Amino acid sequence: MNWTLALPEIALAVSGMAILLFGVLRKEESGFLASMLAIGALLLAGVLMTATGAGHAYDGQFVVDPFSVALKLLILAGAILGVALSVDYNRAEGIGRFEFPVLIVMATVGMMVMVSAANLMTLYLGLELQSLSIYVLAAFARENLRSAEAGLKYFVLGALASGLLLYGMTLVYGFTGTMDFARIATGLADPMQVSAGLIVGVVFILAGLAFKISAVPFHMWTPDVYEGAPTPVTAFLSTAPKVAAMGLLLRVMIGPFGHLLAQWQGLVVLVSIASMLLGALGAIGQRNIKRLMAYSSIGHMGYALIGLAAGTVSGVRGVLVYLAVYIFMSAGAFAVILAMRRGGRAVEGIADLAGLGRSDPALAMLMSVFMFSMAGIPPLSGFFGKLYVFLAAVQSGMWTLAIIGVLTSVVGAYYYVRIIKVMYFDAGETGFAVRPATLSIVAAGSGLVTLLFALFAAPVVAMAEAAARALLG
Amino acid sequence: MIATAAFYVFAAVLLGSAALVVSARNPVHSVLFLILAFFNAAGLFLLAGAEFLAMILVIVYVGAVAVLFLFVVMMLDIDFTRMREGIQRYAPVGATVGVILLVELASVFGSWQLLPQSASLRGAVAPGAVSNTAALGDLLYTHNVLLFQLAGLVLLVAMIGAIVLTLRARKASRRQDISRQVAQRVEDTLVLVKVGLGAAVTEAEFQRPLPEPAVAAAEPHGGGHGHGGTHAAEVR
Amino acid sequence: MTEFLATPIGTLILLVLETLAILVPLLVFVAYATWAERKVLGAMHLRKGPNVVGLFGLLQPFADALKMLMKETIIPAGANRALFLLAPVITFVLAMIAWAVVPVNDGWAVAKINVGVLYLFAISSLGVYGVIIAGWASNSKYAFLGAMRSAAQMVSYEVSIGFVMVSVLLCVGSLNLNDIVLAQRHVWFVIPLLPMFLVFFISGLAETNRSPFDLPEGESEIVAGFFVEYSSLAFGLFFLGEYANMFLMSAMTTILFLGGWLAPFGVEPFTWLPGPIWFLLKVFACMFVFIWVRGTLPRYRYDQLMRLGWKVFLPLSLFWLVLTAGVLMATGWVPRT
Repeated sequence: MNWTLALPEIALAVSGMAILLFGVLRKEESGFLASMLAIGALLLAGVLMTATGAGHAYDGQFVVDPFSVALKLLILAGAILGVALSVDYNRAEGIGRFEFPVLIVMATVGMMVMVSAANLMTLYLGLELQSLSIYVLAAFARENLRSAEAGLKYFVLGALASGLLLYGMTLVYGFTGTMDFARIATGLADPMQVSAGLIVGVVFILAGLAFKISAVPFHMWTPDVYEGAPTPVTAFLSTAPKVAAMGLLLRVMIGPFGHLLAQWQGLVVLVSIASMLLGALGAIGQRNIKRLMAYSSIGHMGYALIGLAAGTVSGVRGVLVYLAVYIFMSAGAFAVILAMRRGGRAVEGIADLAGLGRSDPALAMLMSVFMFSMAGIPPLSGFFGKLYVFLAAVQSGMWTLAIIGVLTSVVGAYYYVRIIKVMYFDAGETGFAVRPATLSIVAAGSGLVTLLFALFAAPVVAMAEAAARALLG
Repeated sequence: MIATAAFYVFAAVLLGSAALVVSARNPVHSVLFLILAFFNAAGLFLLAGAEFLAMILVIVYVGAVAVLFLFVVMMLDIDFTRMREGIQRYAPVGATVGVILLVELASVFGSWQLLPQSASLRGAVAPGAVSNTAALGDLLYTHNVLLFQLAGLVLLVAMIGAIVLTLRARKASRRQDISRQVAQRVEDTLVLVKVGLGAAVTEAEFQRPLPEPAVAAAEPHGGGHGHGGTHAAEVR
Repeated sequence: MTEFLATPIGTLILLVLETLAILVPLLVFVAYATWAERKVLGAMHLRKGPNVVGLFGLLQPFADALKMLMKETIIPAGANRALFLLAPVITFVLAMIAWAVVPVNDGWAVAKINVGVLYLFAISSLGVYGVIIAGWASNSKYAFLGAMRSAAQMVSYEVSIGFVMVSVLLCVGSLNLNDIVLAQRHVWFVIPLLPMFLVFFISGLAETNRSPFDLPEGESEIVAGFFVEYSSLAFGLFFLGEYANMFLMSAMTTILFLGGWLAPFGVEPFTWLPGPIWFLLKVFACMFVFIWVRGTLPRYRYDQLMRLGWKVFLPLSLFWLVLTAGVLMATGWVPRT
């Protein structure tokens, strides 16, 4: 057995437990040190990933291929950004405990297992590890009623989604007699043999995973959880878990159920269109910037699903590029949101941004970059993300999908640009409190990536292409 | 013959007690019927030749999980008549959903057919010629070791979560510190005073180590005991 | 004769006889354990103990039993009748049926099942139900407090007992009690696994609610704990159950650590005594320690009890389990079955 293929996950899990021990044994407040150690562990996992080979391990339950490596790098990046964003906020809000980075590390292990899953059971356990950690993180500010509500809401609905997923898995297992992705794929090679029960199972699995990426109609939890959870958790929630769940969705739909493309394609198209529409329309009336980001993320997942609906190499490539672009835009935007502190506490209204253009031009500039990028204005990174998924849709002849995508982008641009208008043209209060260095670094770094994506788009796209070929090949 | 009779007895009692779990008026009775159901399930396992699973079922579910259930249920003061108030109102909705699901399930399973090659796709489920304890061990710790460890991580996270969300350090409680007790010496606690005849001891007084000062300021959040709402108002 | 024993009726008769052969001596031992306890405690307190009824007070247990049977069974007004009466029966029956798998000599057990250790563990973990149901059904404060204490205590100490058993199993490679004893032909497990032996025995004290862990009874705080409302035969069943459980714990200690029926060192003159006698001697020695501890140690406080279980025994037994596994792997002594 080639157990070393899971070395990054093992190293990460072990260091997570080591940090836990460190935090427990050290009597005084150790949130900062634990966060730094967590970032170190995540970097270590990234380094180890380049050292491990490719192939199947653990009785074929675990797979490492370019697709999983690409996604894992994104997940690790998202997790590092999440930890970095949390340090100062948590300390200021009095929730700077060492369990926070430990939970992020554990969630990351779960996500890495998710994208490496080659078996329905591995998939489920990875998903549960990730979800359970995030339920706790969402309720982490336990003295705060909204946070507790967010955690509970996410937990109850997430448990329901897990139930749907498991039910679908049992139906698939009942039909094929196996949980292994490769065996399921060989079993389903002839779609004519497939019975209705299996299709129901696939639909349930799709529904369960759609919940995790908050696609319509399983999006109801998103605005409340985004708003209620502590802001760094929201930032984390909108980056790495989205990448992992989307990667998982790609792997499951294209891998074992790839031959059933004709059966599930319509469903994914429907979900995609609904998500794009709701993301664009729902965000318009929002006053709270975290809720706005929630609707924005629903919309973005809709765009990413276009690539899955295409079901081709270029479609998967489009999804991967989209995800890569999205996590940096999102992390950057949340860095700016986290910098919104006034009088010792965080403010979250869009109106609170008024006058930022004069009081803090640099921050306003960065926020504009993220907002323009999310709206898909060239030459920012968001444009390329959209470009590649629309391209895939057009290549597969799905014109409606592409057209609706473009139209909703235009609608979406309205509320993104509104934020820029508020920052530069509305008269507002005095500026925000001095922002900590970590936020500046994350915002500036993400801003650079977003701004200059065009310069290094070629290698990213090539990597995504290789990953997509590995998945479909 | 005896085995068949035993099967029907176990199965009948299992189903009967399972029905009573949900219909019993008293929650404690429900838990006790649940325990009875577990026992009969263990009996069925025994009949199927899975003696290890039968024993583990009794040890884990009856011996540990159900005890904690019972513990909690006995402590709770549940008013079941009040909980049942909504049942009249929501029963039609629930029944409708149930019927729809039932019809769907029936249509799915009515047309159910296994994949023709499913027998060959099956993983090696039962390694031959070993006792079922050894076979289980082999499956769990050799073939599915990844899943086993992942499940362990899930439990660890659940534990961390429970502690993070509920544990409150009570600064005022006097914890026992065994090493401090053992390290205590006579000189630390006892003062020998020569007392003259007819005189009183004035300078030495009885001393007791006080707990660490329990100031509210040491705990800036919520004052310690679940005033979730006050802080929420502060942040927003 | 042998043909008759092979028929279903013959098997049944044989089974009944075997059961009686185990239960009748057990009940006699239990009766005399109460006498022995009072005698031993008396000696420790420099008193005489029971010495009036019969020679050396030897008839005392029978006098006590008679007294108990003559009393009225009182059921409190607010009690849940069915459960109130069920609880002592559960305690007593569980204490008895566990003996089905205990091997007194090589192959001498009523039921020779492959998962004997698990069966014993399962039965001993069920013992808590008698206590908890009694406490709840009595509808009395003290009884309920006793039941709560007992539930938390027994569940806590079961965990370490489980780990101790697993480390013994690692050294044996079988769940069969007979095999476990035979694996100790060369050296009793008490020597290589001494810390585990101590953890097991002390957890056994807690599991049987014996002093210094007798908080569920706690007569100085909660009167008599879970059986405060019981009288007459129902009380007698609890009483018998408690002592039978002590015997069971002693027998488990004997089987797991003290080499069961094997003679010490396996040499003359020790081998002159037959196996069952050795088994009994070891069980009696353990029983003596049970009583000795009661005569010597004060009761633990509840937080100390929990601390000992979760913060001392659990890590220790886990560590020793890993150590045992590591040593077995490193030296290649892993038993093959």
